[in-house]
Amino acid sequence: MADTNTVRILDGNTFVVSEDTGDIEATPTEPTGLFSIDTRFLSRWVLTVNGERLNALSYDDLQYYEARFFLVPGMATHYVDAKLSIIRERAVGGSFRETLTILNHDEKAVDLEIRMEAGSDFADLFQVKDEILNKKGEIYAEAERDRLRLGYRRGNFRRETIISSSQPARYDRGGFAYTIHLEPNEQWDTAIDVQTVAIGPGGRDLRMGLRAHGIERVALQRDLEEWIRKAPKVNSEHGQVCSTYRRSLVDLAALRFSPLSLGGQTLPAAGLPWFMTMFGRDSILTCLQVLPFAPDMSKTTLRILGALQGTRFDDFRDEDPGRILHEMRYGETAAFEEQPHSPYYGSVDATPLFVVLLDEYEKWTGDVALVKELERECRAALHWVDHYADLVGNGYIWYERRNTDTGLENQCWKDSWDSISYSDGTLPPFPRATCEVQGYAYDAKMRAARLAREFWDDPTYADQLEREAAALKERFNRDWWVPGGGFYALGLDPNGRQCDVLSSNIGHLLWSGIVDEDRAGQIAAHLVGPRLWSGWGVRTLAEGEVRYNPIGYHNGTIWPFDNSFIAWGLRRYGFAEEAATIANGILDAAGYFDGRLPEAFGGYQRELTKFPVEYPTACSPQAWSTGTPLLLLRTMLGLEPHEGHLAVDPRLPVGMGRIEVLDIPGRWGRVDAFARGRLDLHNLAG
Amino acid sequence: MVDATTRFFEDLDRRGFEPLLAKTAGTLRFDLHEGAQTTHWLLQIDRGNLQVRQEDREADTVVGTAPRLFGELVTGQENAIAALLRGDMTVSGDLRLVLQIERLFPGPPDTRGPHHPFRTEAF
Repeated sequence: MADTNTVRILDGNTFVVSEDTGDIEATPTEPTGLFSIDTRFLSRWVLTVNGERLNALSYDDLQYYEARFFLVPGMATHYVDAKLSIIRERAVGGSFRETLTILNHDEKAVDLEIRMEAGSDFADLFQVKDEILNKKGEIYAEAERDRLRLGYRRGNFRRETIISSSQPARYDRGGFAYTIHLEPNEQWDTAIDVQTVAIGPGGRDLRMGLRAHGIERVALQRDLEEWIRKAPKVNSEHGQVCSTYRRSLVDLAALRFSPLSLGGQTLPAAGLPWFMTMFGRDSILTCLQVLPFAPDMSKTTLRILGALQGTRFDDFRDEDPGRILHEMRYGETAAFEEQPHSPYYGSVDATPLFVVLLDEYEKWTGDVALVKELERECRAALHWVDHYADLVGNGYIWYERRNTDTGLENQCWKDSWDSISYSDGTLPPFPRATCEVQGYAYDAKMRAARLAREFWDDPTYADQLEREAAALKERFNRDWWVPGGGFYALGLDPNGRQCDVLSSNIGHLLWSGIVDEDRAGQIAAHLVGPRLWSGWGVRTLAEGEVRYNPIGYHNGTIWPFDNSFIAWGLRRYGFAEEAATIANGILDAAGYFDGRLPEAFGGYQRELTKFPVEYPTACSPQAWSTGTPLLLLRTMLGLEPHEGHLAVDPRLPVGMGRIEVLDIPGRWGRVDAFARGRLDLHNLAG
Repeated sequence: MVDATTRFFEDLDRRGFEPLLAKTAGTLRFDLHEGAQTTHWLLQIDRGNLQVRQEDREADTVVGTAPRLFGELVTGQENAIAALLRGDMTVSGDLRLVLQIERLFPGPPDTRGPHHPFRTEAF
């Protein structure tokens, strides 16, 4: 969504999106509100003083879970001469709390009528951008002596918002009010508490047994400090690197999400505000990005995704045995199976990536116990790759949704409807296969072979996996290479015809290791060549392709996360300068967003716009954008676990100066890495 | 004729060991309410080893549903996670145990699974 003048605070999957006055007046175009477990619990929250709306002087988002608004009565004029100031301070942490403070600056006493309008449409997150006309259940409001209860009931499905106040208030069905008298220089305040409740029959909350409700602000503050204290320290002469790193760490803390079933442990959710939930792909890729800095997240992610791995065929959820989930949701549309997210399994990359993450995690941490614990899940994932994903029967992972109403058409990371095309711009039939997923499958087999040999005591399986991987690599290099272009096709159709467009996906192939050595140079040249490289980053689709559009969601924009994996891939094949070029471009772009990289920005040439143009509906902060600077640091410093040690092989651009990363955790304990910028990038691209 | 629920539990008891639950330990009690009458099933899981009894004993997790819904869950006609979100199934105690057991329920009876229309040609 467009985030002009909206303020967001969150904790886990409870979050508030409001105007800069703190007010909430939700409309389909301004989907503000208080949200929790994928449901809107407040769609109206408007403060007035003596019937007048308030005007924002300023606001501070103090931490990701709290914000403060300074307001005065009346609308904006060039000169504000207010005798009253109003401060709204709010925090989320389980429930939503707002403290109102009113100060009388006048030399006379005043009598004030303070009113908060409160209401909720209990929209499912999937409905917030629609005009909600026909809710199937019943919305109710009950004013009690000491609280206002807003509720929604559909069968046994019940959600309630319960509002109470520390100062006595008069509650009615549309809000609550106070009548106060303030002497000169007197101040008045009240603390408003808003509880969000998901009640089952018997009055029990769905989330009981989850982490404690209403976590205190102090606890959140301590938790954030602890999170930052545990992470490695980054020092740099390049001031922006430090601030971007710090921003990423804090955002990563904000994006930690505790699923209902995990008893308080956290994994990264995909993004604020609309994706504060578990996504197989996003969670795994984010974990891979941040492994050198926050390895614990990987453990939790692997465990929860393993525990929810598919066990049966279910066409509505696109579930198969061994498949790793795509998305989990808790709202009304999931509950009543109007959407398939309970959970939905329609992704083809999460399953091989699950195996990739487990191996990478072990290399860093030496956590053999987890590798043994998840042996069964890994084997099931690889079985899925070979048996259920190969819809055409020629040794590749394909996708074709079985849920044709609400399932996803494109089940790779470029999941918009028009992201996979031939060079004439037409779209291929189903089933479809995309190149990067075959790379992940190759990598998963190679990595699982190591795990089988070293930890599962199964050298026969290891040999088999390596043979299969070698055969896949050979097949892939034969079927997917576009000879006239010197790159790999984006996709294949079921007849073997290539989607012969030049795309960023080829960078992921380097990361996976499926690219033949003698072709890697051509791939690297394309990635920093004029058609893909904008000066800020690698475009999702190359300039000159029929569907190329610099602001096409997956057809020309630049995705920071995509670039971070491409840089990693370039380094894997020894293209350190090309990797540094990408790291440099993306970190430069981060500077224009205060260190917080958006989901995507425009593919315009750098010289043309001079600054990166944010994609209009991008989600921010988004987990894998947040993880991007961390993976870029790893790539530039050449951090690589090697035979139980941490190898450091820095290749930094000149402008980066000196960078040090201190206390990198791993099987080696904690070690430091130092680097100095020596690479002159001018010869490469620009 | 034995109903689906009884068949489900008898099958678990007979199976003795379920590899999908090899990392799971705990007890679940299923309370199937019908009017004033409640049928209890107690499932003990000890790292994959299963034991079923029809007893009303304290458990780590207590699941409450109507007998009819439970019959539909164990035959794949209804989905347990959706039922839980809807409030048609209640859980107190450790939710994780329910999510592990839920994986033993079959998929919908009319599900086709992945179709391999090209496979016959390829082989």
